[in-house]
Amino acid sequence: MIGRSPLAREFWKHGRVAACPIYDMHGHMGHFHSIYFPRADAASMVRTMDEAGVRLLVFSHHAALNSPDLANEPSIAAVKEFPDRLRAYCMINPNYPEQVARDLAAFSNLFPQVYVGFKFLSDYHQVALTDPRYAPAWEMANERALPVLAHTWGGSAYDGEAVVREVAERYPQVRFLLGHACHGAWHAAVALARDFPNIYLELTAVFDDRGVIEIFVEEVGSERILFGTDLPWFDPHHAIGVLMNADISDADRHNICHRNAEKLLAPILPDLIA
Amino acid sequence: MRFFDCNAFFGLPARRPLAPVATAEALLAEMDHAGVDRALVWHIAQHDVAAQTGNRLLTESIAAFDRLYGCWTVLPNHASELPAPAVLFEQMYKTRTVALRAFPDDHRFLLGEVSMGDLLSAMVLRRVPLFVSLIRGITWRGIYDVLEAFPELTCVVCDHGCWGEDRMFRPLLERYPHVYIDTAQYLLDGGIEALVSDYGANRLLFGSGFPESYFGGMMMALKHADIPLEAKQAVAYGNLERLIERAWGDIVKEVVV
Repeated sequence: MIGRSPLAREFWKHGRVAACPIYDMHGHMGHFHSIYFPRADAASMVRTMDEAGVRLLVFSHHAALNSPDLANEPSIAAVKEFPDRLRAYCMINPNYPEQVARDLAAFSNLFPQVYVGFKFLSDYHQVALTDPRYAPAWEMANERALPVLAHTWGGSAYDGEAVVREVAERYPQVRFLLGHACHGAWHAAVALARDFPNIYLELTAVFDDRGVIEIFVEEVGSERILFGTDLPWFDPHHAIGVLMNADISDADRHNICHRNAEKLLAPILPDLIA
Repeated sequence: MRFFDCNAFFGLPARRPLAPVATAEALLAEMDHAGVDRALVWHIAQHDVAAQTGNRLLTESIAAFDRLYGCWTVLPNHASELPAPAVLFEQMYKTRTVALRAFPDDHRFLLGEVSMGDLLSAMVLRRVPLFVSLIRGITWRGIYDVLEAFPELTCVVCDHGCWGEDRMFRPLLERYPHVYIDTAQYLLDGGIEALVSDYGANRLLFGSGFPESYFGGMMMALKHADIPLEAKQAVAYGNLERLIERAWGDIVKEVVV
């Protein structure tokens, strides 16, 4: 038994709990150059989701991250295959403004059946979140109050805490999900979440750093924290085990696993969330 | 399920972490909260201060707690910094110290025949496990080198990283029969299942990486992995117990929990 709370006991026993579905707000899909994935195709990922009680995964396909040739097409295809279990972020690669224009033009037709928001990967594309090439996507997200999941990493010149603060001030209507929660700059992430009510701390790659979740819950509150795993990278059962082992309440766990995501997604996906 | 953690430490690191666990008593309290039965542990001073200082602190700290087994740090012995292998092993047995750790890059030596041939040869004969951690003082190149020189060495590779290191450790598992990996940071979805399918359940040891990682993460991943119950129990407890028994006889079973 990894914790003594009723929820921890249920998850430990069954691996999933119907009353506590998981909304994984940070996923990917498909092969990636530097890692072996046993379960990277859509069907295998849905199998993993079933095993851990993950109700919905919001993701961006690895090809969408790094192959301008394929762009968002693999993400779109996967959502169409599993429309009840998957939604995609429209990946924006600002190194290709002409592709960004095409992605934005297509966005409305695919929202919300496929897309629920945007994904930015500034460290990898080496374009700062504040760069004007991102502006068209930021402006659309701001105008429509959409979720934007941005990879954020402490100290980064592209998506570190200072850059995040600048765009958060500029686009106050965006539902700004800090992917990896400014990894390593934990107290800066806390300050950002306190200063900007539209900022959420997303936990991918945070689960293996003991103590961070307790700090976030105590200093920000569990209402602004979102579950994420980078699936197919990280086993959701690992993340669940950490949440059940961490020194937080079952109410906090419910917020992180599903309630916060449900509030975020309900205006976009009323039928699916209901 | 019972859990025997092969990779946990206590003590205060020189660079303060978010959630340090200072004492063996505090470690045991966390183990009780999580449901971990036993642990093979080391003291952070073995890395941050000196092998001699840390080994002594470890031994003193765990002496009263039968559920904790020690893992000392070793060095090259050309300056007689530690006892000769035969004496070292005798001291280990008397203090419930059942494995050794090395941090060659951080402690400025080369882990190989020239520097440590006497100890490594003795470890092979006695089957004493060597633990190495990829987040402290060794690289994959260092691990490949020592195993090339000592292919029969019992070596447990810990903390191999959450970025997916199968391309690094699978060749070692195939070539060297006494290489094992721990679960700390093996977060890869489906990784446990794939590894057990390809290599059996005996090459993977439950390790938490505590206190830098939570016990509960890999415990939950293992509990609900899609592998047979016997395989889970081997990874969670039996494999480490077997490694210790191979080297030290019934030292584990002598302790009644």
